[in-house]
Amino acid sequence: MATGDHSQTSGATPPIIACQALTKDFSRGRQTAPILADVNLAVDPGGFVTILGQSGGGKSTLLKLLGGFIPPTSGQVLFHGLPLPGITPKIGMVFQENTLYPWLTVEQNIGFGFKVRGKQPAQYRQQVKHFLEHVGLFSARQLYPHQLSGGMKQRVSIARSIAVQPDVLLLDEPFSALDIQLRRRLQGFLSAIWQDMATTMVLVTHNVEEAILLGQRLIVVGDRPGRIIETVDLSDPRFRDRYDARFLALQRHLEGVIEADAYMQDSRLPSHSAEMRSTIPNPAFNPSPKT
Amino acid sequence: MPRQISGQPAWQASLLAIACGLVSCAVVVGIWEMAGRDSANPVTQVLPPPSQFLPVLFESDFKVGLGSQSASIYQSVMVTLIRVSLGMAIAFVGSIACGLLISLSKWSELFILPLLGLMAPIAPIAWVPLALVVFGVSNLTAIFIVFMGVFFTLTIATVAEIKRIPAPLLMTAENLGGGSFNRWRWVIIPAVLPGVFTLLRLNFIAAWMAVLAAEMTGLRDGLGTVVMTGRNLFNSDLILLGICIIGITGFAVDRLLLLIQRKFFWWQV
Ligand SMILES: Nc1ncnc2c1ncn2[C@@H]1O[C@H](COP(=O)(O)OP(=O)(O)OP(=O)(O)O)[C@@H](O)[C@H]1O
Ligand SMILES: [Mg+2]
Repeated sequence: MATGDHSQTSGATPPIIACQALTKDFSRGRQTAPILADVNLAVDPGGFVTILGQSGGGKSTLLKLLGGFIPPTSGQVLFHGLPLPGITPKIGMVFQENTLYPWLTVEQNIGFGFKVRGKQPAQYRQQVKHFLEHVGLFSARQLYPHQLSGGMKQRVSIARSIAVQPDVLLLDEPFSALDIQLRRRLQGFLSAIWQDMATTMVLVTHNVEEAILLGQRLIVVGDRPGRIIETVDLSDPRFRDRYDARFLALQRHLEGVIEADAYMQDSRLPSHSAEMRSTIPNPAFNPSPKT
Repeated sequence: MPRQISGQPAWQASLLAIACGLVSCAVVVGIWEMAGRDSANPVTQVLPPPSQFLPVLFESDFKVGLGSQSASIYQSVMVTLIRVSLGMAIAFVGSIACGLLISLSKWSELFILPLLGLMAPIAPIAWVPLALVVFGVSNLTAIFIVFMGVFFTLTIATVAEIKRIPAPLLMTAENLGGGSFNRWRWVIIPAVLPGVFTLLRLNFIAAWMAVLAAEMTGLRDGLGTVVMTGRNLFNSDLILLGICIIGITGFAVDRLLLLIQRKFFWWQV
């Protein structure tokens, strides 16, 4: 298992967004439950980090902390090297739940970032048209959210967030509810946006394949309390090919890591951990290269 | 049966609903007319059937009342409708504005909401004597009564609707760069409008009854006065005519409000 400093970035440039010793507790009645414990993470400008973990592990909480949507219990988030004061348009967020405004059409939803800044429609019509075409929804621009399919809604949400050109885009399981074909199409679509716009992306998913395919770096968050249990460098282009042996080996390895973590949570018997660790498929490669 | 109806296209279902409603009305009127044939029937002496009271409308040239006090039915309906709609419109706008102001701070909620909670259950009719003392016999009295009947409930509803807005919707607006005023204007207000309007529609009946009560007790015109004129003249035909028009107009307004809701406030947050 990978240990050590996960906040290490692969490049020499200072990280655009980073967190140090981040913890988050939520109170449940009289008790407080630790949801995240001591998370250190640094994201390079223009990078694509995927966060992988099982349901309820605290991935959404981590993302909300990174975007300044909720305050940490301790530790801090640094944005461009400075403490993040709160919600900022420089860090865009595509929430896990549907956040399209039901009273606005596709076109109005995508233009909402301009409207809510007090701009007149004439000032941003061109930009909205550009993003409508970019996400392939020009013909659906007059429809309301309840008339859209799940995939269309996700594309509108993403377009709405990138239209205001954030430095960092946080995406919380944007494709979870979609079938495999659509999921793959939208993954390609997101990759293309990332390459076109040079936006730094942090994407949360519980799909191992998606995490490997999209990320430049992959982080596995373990459960209860959420903490980083594995970091994988994915800059090797072979990880873009889902039939490559390296891809498959990593996929198996990560599935094992997650399963072992879940098993240890369920059994709550520390003695199982050694046994479980030996059952993790151990591929020939080193999952966390330190170079 | 309901399963079959839901399987049909929308227009067919609504046509069926209208047809069934009409059949029900026709059956009731039919039974009523049959009973009215026997002029010795004590019930229909007090409750004359439509064939007796409807002609009153034409005989009197659509006018009700005596001499200078008389007003056309059309006028009576309009007066009442204008009173109700003005009162409701002012209450609707006012309660959304007040609800927004109250939810600005936790403290204003804590201090003001209990007061509203105390005021809301007061029946609008209870305001009639007070309004007559303060505003005299005027349109203002009627509008005030409607307003008091609806305003508190709607304000409480606005505050509740604002609390109900999912946090991500508001966070997204802030995340997209919206300042607090623009978030109010473009997220909070549209998000609460449908819920508050639905409640306005449900409270219409209360407002409607309040105006009629005011018109029966103090004011000199409007639909309620038609009924009271009938009472003063011991004219059951006129009373029933008034009641009938009250029922039909109230129903029509309710449908109109439903139409407005479907056309302008159709979304759900
Ligand atoms: N506002 C809150 N108050 C109390 N507990 C919370 C709150 N938000 C999240 N939690 C708890 O924190 C834990 C992690 O939640 P989180 O939403 O971050 O998980 P997740 O990894 O995103 O899961 P999923 O994959 O299902 O979205 C859960 O056990 C949840 O019950
Ligand atoms: Mg989540």
